[in-house]
Amino acid sequence: MDDMKFTRTRLKYFIATVSLLAAMQQHVFADGFPVRPKKFVINPSISYFVATRAWDSARVNHPFPQNGKFTALTMTLFAEYGISRRWYFVATLPYTTNTFTQTGFKSVNSGLTDLETGLRYYLANINYKHYIMLQGTVITPLYTNPNLGYGLTGAELKLSLAGSGHLFGLPSYYSLEDGVRQYFGSNGPIQDRYSGTYGITLDKQFKNQVSLSLGGIYSVSNFKTFNNVNPTTNKDFAFNQVSLSYGHSFSREFSVFVGAGTFINGRNTGDGSNVSFGIVIKTF
Amino acid sequence: MFDRLKNNNSRSSFRVTGFLLMLSLLCLQKASAQEKNNGDISTEVVAHDKDAIFSGLPYFTFSVNNPTGKDQTGTISYIVTTEKGEKVADKVQTVKISQNSNENYDFHLPELKTGFYKINFMINVSDYDDTTRRAFGIRPQEIRATTAKPADFDQFWQNTKAELAKVTPNFKITPVSKKNTDNREVYQFQMQSLDNYTVRGYLTIPRTKNKNRKFSVLLGLPGYQVSVDPMLGLDNDLAIITLDVRGQGNSRDGIDTRRDEYISYRVEDKDKYVMRGVIMDCVRCIDFIYSRPNLVHDNILVTGGSMGGYLALAVAGVDKRVNLCSAQNPILCDIRDLAGATDWPYSAFKKYVATQPGLTMDKVMSNLDYYDAKNFAPNITCPTLIGIGLLDPFAPPTDEYETFNEIPAKKHIMVFKNLAHEINQKYKDYEGRWMRDTFALF
Repeated sequence: MDDMKFTRTRLKYFIATVSLLAAMQQHVFADGFPVRPKKFVINPSISYFVATRAWDSARVNHPFPQNGKFTALTMTLFAEYGISRRWYFVATLPYTTNTFTQTGFKSVNSGLTDLETGLRYYLANINYKHYIMLQGTVITPLYTNPNLGYGLTGAELKLSLAGSGHLFGLPSYYSLEDGVRQYFGSNGPIQDRYSGTYGITLDKQFKNQVSLSLGGIYSVSNFKTFNNVNPTTNKDFAFNQVSLSYGHSFSREFSVFVGAGTFINGRNTGDGSNVSFGIVIKTF
Repeated sequence: MFDRLKNNNSRSSFRVTGFLLMLSLLCLQKASAQEKNNGDISTEVVAHDKDAIFSGLPYFTFSVNNPTGKDQTGTISYIVTTEKGEKVADKVQTVKISQNSNENYDFHLPELKTGFYKINFMINVSDYDDTTRRAFGIRPQEIRATTAKPADFDQFWQNTKAELAKVTPNFKITPVSKKNTDNREVYQFQMQSLDNYTVRGYLTIPRTKNKNRKFSVLLGLPGYQVSVDPMLGLDNDLAIITLDVRGQGNSRDGIDTRRDEYISYRVEDKDKYVMRGVIMDCVRCIDFIYSRPNLVHDNILVTGGSMGGYLALAVAGVDKRVNLCSAQNPILCDIRDLAGATDWPYSAFKKYVATQPGLTMDKVMSNLDYYDAKNFAPNITCPTLIGIGLLDPFAPPTDEYETFNEIPAKKHIMVFKNLAHEINQKYKDYEGRWMRDTFALF
């Protein structure tokens, strides 16, 4: 009789086990995660950068001469599209207004800058938590004004690792990226562009997130001259930047984020800070 | 209260898991994963492999904490047996555990053949006696079935499916609005299955404004004599189906056995054994999924535990429309090998034979060869995940691994060395990520 009772209770096995929760990666504000096939991620943003100082070629920090001030107001449209489970189309379209002022001098340049279009491939995963991606990007200048950028076509190959886990009982995520970019043409620089992001959700509904990022560019070119008037056209430079971002999800489809960042060191580059605001629209 | 499935959200899933854990602890009579406590003395067993799966010599450490103010003298020992209780190794060691001290005793076991073993660690000292039960495996990837599947196994199931195909399904689906939640709509459905038997189940679908949206499907298959409820949860990407197979829950129109008799119902005839219809009920449910235009027909996960795990393997074996298979602690794996290794379900078959004049266990075993999970396994071509507990009293790890090894498809097994007939949240999380990745539900 006891055996029968034993069987009665022990075999009450419940029916299915899948965690019936949405995947965390659907909610994070970080690159490097897969995109659902036939779905878009659209991310318009606006940022304002201001620099009144610069690092010279000896990494010495000093103010721009004659009360110089460089600002850049940039609107960027970033989009991802899931072509298939493993292939994603990515594009970035920026429009910028660069302003440099000095005592008795002002220079303003506006326009579309470098269009970036690329394909991202989902190479592999580790335990379905950590994703490894490879992205190839073509950089196409959409301007003839030499003050908006190099005006050179370029190509980039980027490897990324992104994943999610838990910290202090709250879901967290990270993203590590490193890309090598070559601009073709006269003195076209070769650049290493890297970034790391660590984010944490502040609630278990994934509504609020904060993230900390560290990134930078190391650019090498035979053209060593530092352009005091427009740092964006420098070719041989390096900098590191740290930024903090807060995001709020109104729904799985619609989120907003605000961020602020500042340069922490550099060479042949402006020393500035930026603030940004953006929205993220995901279709499901 | 345990007859009712409650899985409205992840929190309730935890509750069910916790309940299973509690049952396990009771069932194993102190074969728990926790430290033993009797007064202030406690012990702990550590297997020097995270899953207690060894490719070489097994190695354990037995730790004793003696925080009392008295030296403890006596013995610690271990005994290793096969899953069927045959002793293969033992050792006794005299010990003196000083007051207020902690002692670790390393045990390097002798070389053992491929397979799974039970090991009991005993402590008998001045003020404390206890036994800790564990299990471990030796190169389980080498375990192979010792009996072949019947030569006409595949033909048997082809014929059975052909028989099912002749039954008009007559799918009927009815909204159950009172069970709707903020994010899901609930429907009850019924259909005609093999022998024109009526089976019923629930379908829950995320609410959406997009009338063209299609959902991937989780088909949850039931445990032994479990009545299903609608499965809800916070997932907005999955349609979830729970099915009452014949003789269970709301599908007892023609078969309504006593609980312990269900497993052996009509086992004397392989063409009438209850599982023949049960497996076809699951296949018919795949037909139902295919009949629904708002479901993605090539994103079907079948999942279940215990009998549900068995059914997941069986359905994946007979129906190639299954895209993912997840089986937790599947029962009825190498049924012939269960004798001596488990009590139930072998005992249920023996009991049934005893009540049927002229019926022999040989005949029952021959019939059950057509229903053995290990015989479905070679036909599984979809990615498959299996979870097992090394202390499982109903689904011995040897037979589970043997079945796993027979699967030719991409597969993964998760071993829970200190669990019995259960899996834990780690499995659930992995299963969810695996399913989402495979179905591209990023």
